[in-house]
Amino acid sequence: MKNLKNHSMRWRYFKQNVFFVLVRASALVITLALGGILLYILANGISVISWDFITKPPTDSMTKGGIMPAILGTIYLTIGAIAIGLPLGIASAVYLTEYARQGRVIRLIKVGINCLAGVPSVVFGLFGLGFFVIFLKFGSSILSGSLTLGFLILPTIIGASEEALKAVPQTFREASLSLGVSKWQTIYRIVLPNALPGILTGSILGIGRAAGETAPIMFTAAAYFTAKLPGSVFDEVMALPYHIYVLATAGTNIEATRPIQFGTVLVLVAVVLGIDLIAILIRGSMRRNKRW
Amino acid sequence: MEAGDIISVNRVNFYYGAVRALTDISMTFKKNKVTALIGPSGCGKSTLLRLLNRMNELIDATKVEGEILFEGRNIYAPDVDPVEIRRKIGMVFQKPNPFPKTIHNNISYGPKLTGTSVADMDALVEQSLKQAVLWDEVKDILNKSAMNLSGGQQQRLCIARALAMKPDILLMDEPTSALDPISTAKIEELIEELKENYTIIIVTHNMQQAARVSDETAFFYLGNLIEYNKTEKIFTKPDVKQTEDYITGRFG
Amino acid sequence: MTRQTKEIIIQYIFLLFALVSVLVLGLIVFSLFREGLPLFTSVSVKDFLFGKEWYPTYDPPSFGIFPLVVGSLIVTLIATLIAVPLGVMAAIYISEIAPQRIKEILKSVIELLAGLPSVVLGFFGMVIVAPWLQETFDLPTGLNIINASVILAIMAIPTISSISEDALYAVPREFKEASYALGATKFETIAQVIVPAALSGISTAVMLGMARAVGETMVVLMVAGGAAAIPESLFDPVRPMPASIAAEMGETPYGSAHYQALFAIGMVLFFLTLAFNLIADYVSHKFRQTGSATL
Repeated sequence: MKNLKNHSMRWRYFKQNVFFVLVRASALVITLALGGILLYILANGISVISWDFITKPPTDSMTKGGIMPAILGTIYLTIGAIAIGLPLGIASAVYLTEYARQGRVIRLIKVGINCLAGVPSVVFGLFGLGFFVIFLKFGSSILSGSLTLGFLILPTIIGASEEALKAVPQTFREASLSLGVSKWQTIYRIVLPNALPGILTGSILGIGRAAGETAPIMFTAAAYFTAKLPGSVFDEVMALPYHIYVLATAGTNIEATRPIQFGTVLVLVAVVLGIDLIAILIRGSMRRNKRW
Repeated sequence: MEAGDIISVNRVNFYYGAVRALTDISMTFKKNKVTALIGPSGCGKSTLLRLLNRMNELIDATKVEGEILFEGRNIYAPDVDPVEIRRKIGMVFQKPNPFPKTIHNNISYGPKLTGTSVADMDALVEQSLKQAVLWDEVKDILNKSAMNLSGGQQQRLCIARALAMKPDILLMDEPTSALDPISTAKIEELIEELKENYTIIIVTHNMQQAARVSDETAFFYLGNLIEYNKTEKIFTKPDVKQTEDYITGRFG
Repeated sequence: MTRQTKEIIIQYIFLLFALVSVLVLGLIVFSLFREGLPLFTSVSVKDFLFGKEWYPTYDPPSFGIFPLVVGSLIVTLIATLIAVPLGVMAAIYISEIAPQRIKEILKSVIELLAGLPSVVLGFFGMVIVAPWLQETFDLPTGLNIINASVILAIMAIPTISSISEDALYAVPREFKEASYALGATKFETIAQVIVPAALSGISTAVMLGMARAVGETMVVLMVAGGAAAIPESLFDPVRPMPASIAAEMGETPYGSAHYQALFAIGMVLFFLTLAFNLIADYVSHKFRQTGSATL
């Protein structure tokens, strides 16, 4: 009897150990995938990085020289996307968390946001082309690209802002309202300032995404090559992600420009993951220092 | 309403969704008195308190029937602005809830935003803190965050913050339930002093506290007002058996 | 103006902002239809969806997207088969087993993986995975179904893992404690109590991961090989829908039938991902985890 019990116990623990090995292996595979990709890019790209690479434009049909216009273009597009997505996103989240009451309108808005979050990036590209570039006649431009990217990151920013607004204790709102302060002033003076750090760190992750996207800007903003830097929001720009795609698939000499490709990939990864990492670190320290 | 009355509740029913939380409540609160609302958890006493300054409206799907008269007007009339009501009827909450601002700015927050013209804000801050018997403890750290204060100090700060609005009525929702005995004693002393100038309505779980601080006591049970009378009478010879059972600790 | 009217106006202004998302969704549909629908004056819906030949630049052109749809579905399916076990198991590890420090690190790893731009993953698949596949299996090209699926799986893992983890985390403590109190091992508790209780959330995660994979563009554009034919083996190249749009839009005259066909593909893609998302939304609402109500 005792033997039998031991046997069944041993079998149960054996199953558990097999399972634990499997889940640990899964976590390990994912970590190695990320680590492998990053290390490979770093190892191949680091030798190309120099001050000139970052500050000079490409030369000789993009087989030599730097990537400065692409870096600048990505910065412009990202700032444009933030300018569109952040205010809209925060305002939407304020409505959803502070004003909205359960009902059909809310359900419609929430489903709308979820669906928007699921729209493929290439469809955003088509939308930008069909609506901003052609219908509104903005042409392929920083403006069209920024609007497209801004709406692409809108659901992320709404989500982050909602979470941050919900984290502001209800007692703060009650205290302010009980003093006879109006709802809007309560939101503006108490709720938003306390939610802002959370909103910003959450939104940074969306911003990283805007900087790294290719498909939405392919038809709306990105130029294969421009000799001059953009003079207005109606100009086309080069952009890091599109530059990588162009060099890797359609450049004049794909094999010969491999080092430049790796260098550009490294710069893009550094920019995007740098942005994400900052957000993750700020969030961590905010959680530790939380007073309420 | 008779002279000496300040706010009167008239046949009020209150619902959370389909659940009735208060049934046909009628009662009148006296000016410059401390009225205690007592009863077991879920009896509706806090709900009634929050009806008096329309804080119940923060919760979705609630419904009020009946009227609450303050300054001769029903505060639930369609043309009444709840914000206006809350300026005159201040509130102190169960857990101290100072804003994450400086002590000074916690006090000046209300007067500043409600457009109350204050000639001398520093004087108002000092006066409010003195009324809440907190001035001596914080006068040198007015520009430090209120979050650094102890729980009892925070609660007195919240009282000072409410007083800075110069309300007519001060609602207190179990103001000492999150505090230690020494802080509790200080708040109780404070209530005693404040009733000279303010009408205080306090919800409390603690029957000794009700007996110590209040002039009038109302006992609630399952959303009904069971008995409302002078505190002394309620605690010595209540008219209703349920009240007696509750105050002698037979249930609750 | 009284304060109350002002407050109401402010509330409606915020409502307008909140409706922008719905408006954009509407504009997306409007733009796709406006540019894409004219195609169906010359091509029937049946020929478009089920036609086996995609020769948009031939004369006369042929706009059958069936091979593209098959390409999209097959890479999505294989990516899901790879990503679901890895993503869900990693989520279980993070939420139930890993010590605090490792948990923090893994969560950051998954967040960073989610942050990797798709063009970077596409580049990686092209430059590293493709030559390796080609040599190891002696193939004509390393840009094929299996390569695209693996890279897509890497992209879908963060979505699947983080949403599953939220669902697992939301399982009430009492369930776990009840199971342990009955003498169950950790594995038995996970397999028989925690995972079943979180199943609706995990299903949502899988649906959203699949939506992500089917709509992903740069990876399939760069590593799927680009052949618009129905594949016969996992080592054949394919041309999923997003790849076709991205590759051909640049070379198509505005307003041509080919241009319209690409927008029409966009419509198919939009409604396909919309279906995935609505199913995910339905599952997460219908079988919402509300305390003990799920078991």
